[in-house]
Amino acid sequence: MAKQAKATKASGGDNFTRWLVIGMVTLVVASGAIFSVVGEKSKANESFAILNDFKVGPTVTSTVDDANGAGITFNNGAAKTIDIWEDPQCPVCNTFEQANGEFIDDLVRAKKANVVYHVLSFLGNESVSASNAAYCAADEARYLDFHKAMYLVQPVLENSGFYSTENLIKIGSYAGLTSQSFIDCVTKGSKLDKVKAAYESMAKYNVQGTPTVFFNGKLWERKNNGFILEEFAAAFEAS
Amino acid sequence: MSTLHKKYQPFITLLCRILLGGVLLVAGGLKAFKPSESASAVAAYKILPTNLAHLMGYALPWLEIALGILLIIGLTTRLAAVVGTAIMIVFIAAIISVWARGILIDCGCFGGGGEVDPSKAAEAHSAYLKEILRDLGLALCGTYLYFFPYGRLSIEKPLHNIEEQ
Repeated sequence: MAKQAKATKASGGDNFTRWLVIGMVTLVVASGAIFSVVGEKSKANESFAILNDFKVGPTVTSTVDDANGAGITFNNGAAKTIDIWEDPQCPVCNTFEQANGEFIDDLVRAKKANVVYHVLSFLGNESVSASNAAYCAADEARYLDFHKAMYLVQPVLENSGFYSTENLIKIGSYAGLTSQSFIDCVTKGSKLDKVKAAYESMAKYNVQGTPTVFFNGKLWERKNNGFILEEFAAAFEAS
Repeated sequence: MSTLHKKYQPFITLLCRILLGGVLLVAGGLKAFKPSESASAVAAYKILPTNLAHLMGYALPWLEIALGILLIIGLTTRLAAVVGTAIMIVFIAAIISVWARGILIDCGCFGGGGEVDPSKAAEAHSAYLKEILRDLGLALCGTYLYFFPYGRLSIEKPLHNIEEQ
């Protein structure tokens, strides 16, 4: 195919235009990207404002039950068991937490139930980081606080950069996690083996999505479309 | 070259510039001011490491806008068309990649993006095909512009016209 004639005569001038355009485009793209990064940073900082009056509860120790999908287990041996399957980035899990989180927290703190949190990570890399941090918090007996704080600031969008190492450490700082061991654990991803084990156990328990709740091993099927505390509490009592 | 093509070439060039440039400009403009959405959309392809994916999500809309403007006004058309075609090929490859890996996402081409509910698998798959065909068409526009960058209504002084006279 015959190419259209190249601009040979004024090649000096044409080259100048070309480099000028390349320079301008680079400048536009770079400043646009910087503008976006800075905007996101300040937006993330704003979303932390909700944690300013966050109250940290007493520490509660938990164990990781490798035989039960590496679940974070509280009050092992209590009469009633609740298995909760959640992904830190799942918006419906956040709705579930806002409705029933307080109730479940009380059950754990009053040792009224054996509660097992299965922290999943099927929504991408940031779920993996956030789940790792949740296991780190559990090591320091602060899973409940961390988990609560994490859902309070949960970003609307998945994998948009919010659950970064930096921000997860920051969430921890609001939840009473300031130790170097927590920071190291989050930074190094020390709990990734547990995160992986939890994720891989989904198939074994036939968990298709999140949030999924089992009362004493029996799948909870809610009647209401949304989450209503009364319904959850009644289901727990009946179990 | 047929005389017929020669007669219509400046108009085809203009049409291609407007098609490729217009789509790029609109796509970029819809995403540029929603950086977290764009970053999240790129991350959903699970091709790049998270940090790089986010950086691409932030930068890509601005590149699309810049290329779109260059193509529409007709400045350094050939260069802009080459880059535009290259990113279309990258988009096609990315969609084929998610399709092949069985990932269900909204391409996030014009904003939005992210994972799609498994119940909408059929819609997502037919969307993949449409997106590939659309980007293929745009890549063809870009290729045409590489060979015939000079047409109607462009800022660039078509030097070949002077040569022909």
